[in-house]
Amino acid sequence: MTATTKVAGEANASRQAARRGRRPETVVLFVVANQMFAVAADSVHEIRSTDSIAGAANEVDHPELPKVRHTIERSGHTYYVVNAGIHFGLPVTRPSLVMILRQFRAAVLVDRIDRMVEISGVHPLPHAFVGAERDWYRGLAYLDDSVIPVVEPRGFLTPQEFRQLDGVRKEAERRDAEAAVRA
Amino acid sequence: MSSVGTIGEAARENSFVLLQIGHRRVALPAAQVAELAPPVRLHTFPHTTPLLAGVIIRRGRIVPVIDTEPVLGGKSPVSHRFYLIANRQIGGTNELGAIPVNGECELASGEMQPPAMDRPAYVAGTLAVGEDSVDVLNLDAFSAHSGAEASR
Repeated sequence: MTATTKVAGEANASRQAARRGRRPETVVLFVVANQMFAVAADSVHEIRSTDSIAGAANEVDHPELPKVRHTIERSGHTYYVVNAGIHFGLPVTRPSLVMILRQFRAAVLVDRIDRMVEISGVHPLPHAFVGAERDWYRGLAYLDDSVIPVVEPRGFLTPQEFRQLDGVRKEAERRDAEAAVRA
Repeated sequence: MSSVGTIGEAARENSFVLLQIGHRRVALPAAQVAELAPPVRLHTFPHTTPLLAGVIIRRGRIVPVIDTEPVLGGKSPVSHRFYLIANRQIGGTNELGAIPVNGECELASGEMQPPAMDRPAYVAGTLAVGEDSVDVLNLDAFSAHSGAEASR
């Protein structure tokens, strides 16, 4: 195949994807409990090792939200740290990285980052899937003969869960302030 | 012309594909069946929908795979010989769904009889095949209703 025909073929594939409402996009591939996921690269602010942020982490405990055990402070904002394994109902692992999301007060514990790659588009989740996954995923992507779920960043914490966590955090801060005054 | 068309429609309505799922022989209306596909790779990912095993890629399309084992018995979807791909109506949408089948499929004709009152929702009716009575599956109702029944 010549370079010209290859480019023409790629352009044609791109047009076909666009016609179906799909656009190529760059994603970060991450792994949790041997399951690979993708997340739009522009929704990730930074990726840090869990060791490097340990000093900036505070505990938060909400019995109904076991997937969130910590908050971290970054750039003057408090981020809730979601354990992706618990969120997706996967076996327990020891996550080593934190993906801090952009425009969203959540960070996600993952086992490892595989790579950053461009996908040809996001295919809608089939209608047969009717559970929580409809909130978890934007859709599915083909990559290297595999189907990878493309996560919806806002699916990690619902607005109601944010409110619950904000309430717990403010209550803890109030108790800490009272304790400091008594001391 | 119209009588030929009517006969054709009746023939389609009375045609069924008999398939083996686990140790059970069941039928599907032939009009719903899109194709019998080879056992391509099953892609799995976390989800909470009952009776879905994952998805396969067939002719460039993502096709959800129904896990029939909890309801119909038989082997898991990873140890089968073919996928039978059929049209389903989910909500107001037509969508393909795949069923792992581990035996050979054959065509049969006959008139479907209504199911007994105590039959589950995924049984659309029964079909007499020789001396046997075979359940005709209602794939549209299969996942939602069977999921509830399987979890009991």
